[in-house]
Amino acid sequence: MSTTKRQAQPKSRLWDWLTSIRLTVYLLLILAAVAIFGAVLPQGQPAEFYIDRFGETWGALVWRGGLANIYFSIWFLAPIHLLALNILSCLIRGLPRAWRRSFTPLSAEAALNLPPRAGLKWPGTTDPREAVAGIWRRELGRPRRQSLPGKEVFYYESGRFRPLGPYLVHAALLFILAGGLIGKFWGIDGSLPLMPGETAQSFQVGETEKPLGFQVRLDRFQVQFYEEGGIPKEFRSDLTFTQGSQELRATCRVNEPVSFGGYTFYQASYGTQPEGQVGLQVIQGPRRESLQAPLHQWLTLPGSQAQIMVIEGEANLEGFGPAVQLAYKNGSEHPLIFWVLKDHPEMAEPIGPYRFALESANFKSYSVFDVNRDPGVPWVYLGFLLFLPGFYLAFFRPHQCWALVLEKSPKGDWQGRLLGSSPRARENFDLRQTHLLEALKKGTAL
Amino acid sequence: MSQLLGVAMLIYLGVAIILIIAELWSSPLMQRAGRGLLWVGLALQSGALIGRWYVSYQMAARGTPPPFFLDKLRLIIFQAPLSNYYDSLVFFSWCLPAMGLLAFRRYLRGWLGAIVAMLACLLLAKASFGGVNANIQPLMPALKSNWLLIHVVVCFFGYAALTVAFGAALLYLIQDYSPKGPLRALPALPLLDRLIYRAAILGFFLLTFGILTGAVWAETAWGKYWSWDPKEVASLVTWLIYAALLHARLLKGWQGRRIAWLAVLGFLAIIFTYFGVNYLQSMHAYMT
Repeated sequence: MSTTKRQAQPKSRLWDWLTSIRLTVYLLLILAAVAIFGAVLPQGQPAEFYIDRFGETWGALVWRGGLANIYFSIWFLAPIHLLALNILSCLIRGLPRAWRRSFTPLSAEAALNLPPRAGLKWPGTTDPREAVAGIWRRELGRPRRQSLPGKEVFYYESGRFRPLGPYLVHAALLFILAGGLIGKFWGIDGSLPLMPGETAQSFQVGETEKPLGFQVRLDRFQVQFYEEGGIPKEFRSDLTFTQGSQELRATCRVNEPVSFGGYTFYQASYGTQPEGQVGLQVIQGPRRESLQAPLHQWLTLPGSQAQIMVIEGEANLEGFGPAVQLAYKNGSEHPLIFWVLKDHPEMAEPIGPYRFALESANFKSYSVFDVNRDPGVPWVYLGFLLFLPGFYLAFFRPHQCWALVLEKSPKGDWQGRLLGSSPRARENFDLRQTHLLEALKKGTAL
Repeated sequence: MSQLLGVAMLIYLGVAIILIIAELWSSPLMQRAGRGLLWVGLALQSGALIGRWYVSYQMAARGTPPPFFLDKLRLIIFQAPLSNYYDSLVFFSWCLPAMGLLAFRRYLRGWLGAIVAMLACLLLAKASFGGVNANIQPLMPALKSNWLLIHVVVCFFGYAALTVAFGAALLYLIQDYSPKGPLRALPALPLLDRLIYRAAILGFFLLTFGILTGAVWAETAWGKYWSWDPKEVASLVTWLIYAALLHARLLKGWQGRRIAWLAVLGFLAIIFTYFGVNYLQSMHAYMT
């Protein structure tokens, strides 16, 4: 096909562009640049974060330009989809030929057309054929031999499936990308906090509740620490799943997820929550007054308009011991939110005319699960599995063909021609050629 | 064990100096001595690694001794000394001579050998004097996985191979831009060019395998094989650069200078993946 003819056909020009390696290299570098941007710029923060950090104009630009969620924006999705198209086009264009080549073993006739490498000669008195067969077997293994009219051909081929390697690798990448897309469209990812003893029938996906289709109860939740307030050693949730008459008890740990009813439960994190009433002390000048505050309810302070509410609690807040978070509001003021520490009353800041202290609280740990279903995962894993053999074939099994043709010349002596080729592994090939020639010369007493 | 590491560090420094002198004097004896000494350093560092592994295992087994053989094996695998920043620096340093001596033995001499030994020495120095916490810390739950060992080992072997590619690229560029420069007796350009390519193939393969094992691990630990964590992204960037290098070389026939520059760029991406990410918010941030 000539260039002028190609230019006349827009379809062919598009196809050439889509299957060009130049496009691949540029896309890889563009994707790398976009990804660097995403790694350096904190992702998924609220708009205020970027405005705070980069000022009105730039912050708004970052936010509106999709740079705050760059991997799901046009900046990343366009080149990665184009790359997928590029890979697919290359597969379609090259795979049939690679397939044919891989499944056409080297024949004696084809071996005769390999490029010549060296010549050998034996006197007519010795028949070198058997000696050559032995050397061929020792040096290359799996000898193939065929007698053609007037000549004897020994030949050998290795790495026949090498042409399939790159296609396997690229098919693997397509599977991984397809798995990612499948997960994006048909996958569900949510979270489920559970108190010990609590039963749930649904979980939280973004802002909405989604029914599980079965019941799950947290029978027991344990957090173990190596030492008090130190690194956690283990999170362990004992779960019971029920669906109709079917019941499953299972233990979920970090790195040991549990699957039931099409969903997988991962031990994601944990928290503590005050249980029952929280005993607080309100200090105003010399006056101290104790009161019991329930969770999440506004409570009016005695002899005042001001109200407080217990928002949450931690059994051990950053190593400072038990703490509760309170909200304080007086009339229509904006509520103040602050922590009160049981073991460190001296750290309490004055809030309005008051100071607050934590007298008593019972804390209960709850477990937080990541609940998800991702039908894309098998495709991604299939991609992983294909990638490794593909890479091995492509780079560690170079294609090599060798042939040795023995002929009797009209003068009566034996002539040998060594032929061979290995387009992608010249170094290895040259080494082997030296070895082979040496062995042949030595073995046939030349 | 820290004494052992100190000795290994000095040995690597010595190897670098000996190999440079060997190159300047063109002395095959010094070359052999340098390489022999590199083996000694590697052996010492291996001893230190195994010792730390043993101590780490003993610490973990003290509280709750594993009852059966399989539990014991599991605990041994978990307690591989690869779980914090210090461990990773020491292991990275170990990987450089190990990779060089195992996979690139023929090339590991002279300037290239000196670069490898010097980098190993610097990594050990960073671990020892860089204000890095060297205590053996108990494992947090997310790290208790069989994947920890394979993921980390494969990744760092990959880094090591790509570091060899970088060393070769550096020598290539120095020689290419100033053939009569101050460094004498550099390896021939075609040899370096081939070495860059071969090291990049091996490194790319290992890096890919490292990313894949990381993805499988993330899937079992967090339910997501990919979360766009800065370290994941940085490793993807690295992967893309080397993928571009291999494609440019294999299909566009790029050679020499351009490939060398890509190998340098890829190495910068590795440095960012390994060190830079510690300064960003990341699940991989182990700079404590």
